[in-house]
Amino acid sequence: MRGDAGATLLEQWAVRLVAPIPRAVDAITGSVEHAGEGMRRREELEAETVRLHARIETLERELIRLRNVEEERDQLAAALEYTPQVPGRLRPAQVVYIDHSSTLRTLILFCGGSPARVDQPVLTPDGLVGRVILVAGSYAKVQLLTDRAAAVSAVIVRTRRQALVRGGTESLELDFVPVQAAVQVGDRVITAGTDGVYPRGIAIGTVSKVLAGGELFRAITVTPAVDFAHLDRVYLLENEPVPKELMEASPRARP
Amino acid sequence: MRALKVVLGLAAALLVHVIGVWAFPALPRYLDLFLVVAVLNALGGSSAAGLLGGTAAGLVHDTLSGRLYGFHGFADTIVGYAVARAAQRLDIARPGAVLVTVALATLLQQAVLIALAHLFTDPGEPPELVPVLVRAVADGAVAALLWSFTTRVRGARERVRRKRMAKIRL
Repeated sequence: MRGDAGATLLEQWAVRLVAPIPRAVDAITGSVEHAGEGMRRREELEAETVRLHARIETLERELIRLRNVEEERDQLAAALEYTPQVPGRLRPAQVVYIDHSSTLRTLILFCGGSPARVDQPVLTPDGLVGRVILVAGSYAKVQLLTDRAAAVSAVIVRTRRQALVRGGTESLELDFVPVQAAVQVGDRVITAGTDGVYPRGIAIGTVSKVLAGGELFRAITVTPAVDFAHLDRVYLLENEPVPKELMEASPRARP
Repeated sequence: MRALKVVLGLAAALLVHVIGVWAFPALPRYLDLFLVVAVLNALGGSSAAGLLGGTAAGLVHDTLSGRLYGFHGFADTIVGYAVARAAQRLDIARPGAVLVTVALATLLQQAVLIALAHLFTDPGEPPELVPVLVRAVADGAVAALLWSFTTRVRGARERVRRKRMAKIRL
């Protein structure tokens, strides 16, 4: 029997039953860590305050710059009568369990009151983490970008060359880049927004290795922008999904 | 009573597994506590109990794993049944024998998981041999420790019961 949340009802119920235990452990270990933080010395706290003030100033300057860029973009869009895609809202979610053991890597999230949606993108401030593959009440199972079965349509920022990012054991692989395409180590890779799941412009990673590969395509390795070993809090992107009917419609189905 | 023991065993395994992963993220590569519970349950010798215990343990493991749901459930069901059938024919009562049985059960589980991956998904790279062997030995060692501990507790309880019975007779 299949539920409407991306998996069998048995799996959904199993996640509902089992996931509260990792969440409880996470809450307990979190409180222990916070208790340790609470016992820091006054000098350390003062130094941290100074550091945070400096960081706020930098971020405020960056915010002003980005607002100017946004205004400029809106003006250009208005002149061209172009409607840019509305960026989604970010909703925080708590990571309660990460599976590091298998090559198919997942994590379990606690999303709070409103449940997640299957295929909803999951991010951190550094970049893309993965997508929701199963929803069970307040919990959601996420397929990480490093999962061998994960694939994201991507674009190399410098050259605008489109490609496909696939999960690898330690890093990511950038597929379908022809041998004649210009790619170099250090090139930034972002989502292309053409797979119907991830919106455009989310950081995926940086090209770390470019090999000749086969006759047609290069073998390119990408280092993820996100440090998957230190995932604590992630964000669910509340964007409007591409309607399923549009995604599944084929030319033959039309009259 | 037996079902309750399996449920409590799985709950304890889940708790230790989650705490273990928090402290040492690579723990599941080197220790499968759910399989230990399934095999210890199957050592009781009942085929049906071994089979059902294996299914339950595997499905709990599947919930936390990124594999297709049911892979561990299927593999541990086969392992539970195989161990129960072996326990009907062999005398597996010493910790050393338990260690060897659980180690072999871990290797059987890996073989079934690889076969399932080849049949139903992209098999990817085969698992590294060293972590699998370490897991087989670690699973066996944990199972042997638990086995000898429960045997001692059972023995102590039996001695207390006999003493009580002797007092009642007097």
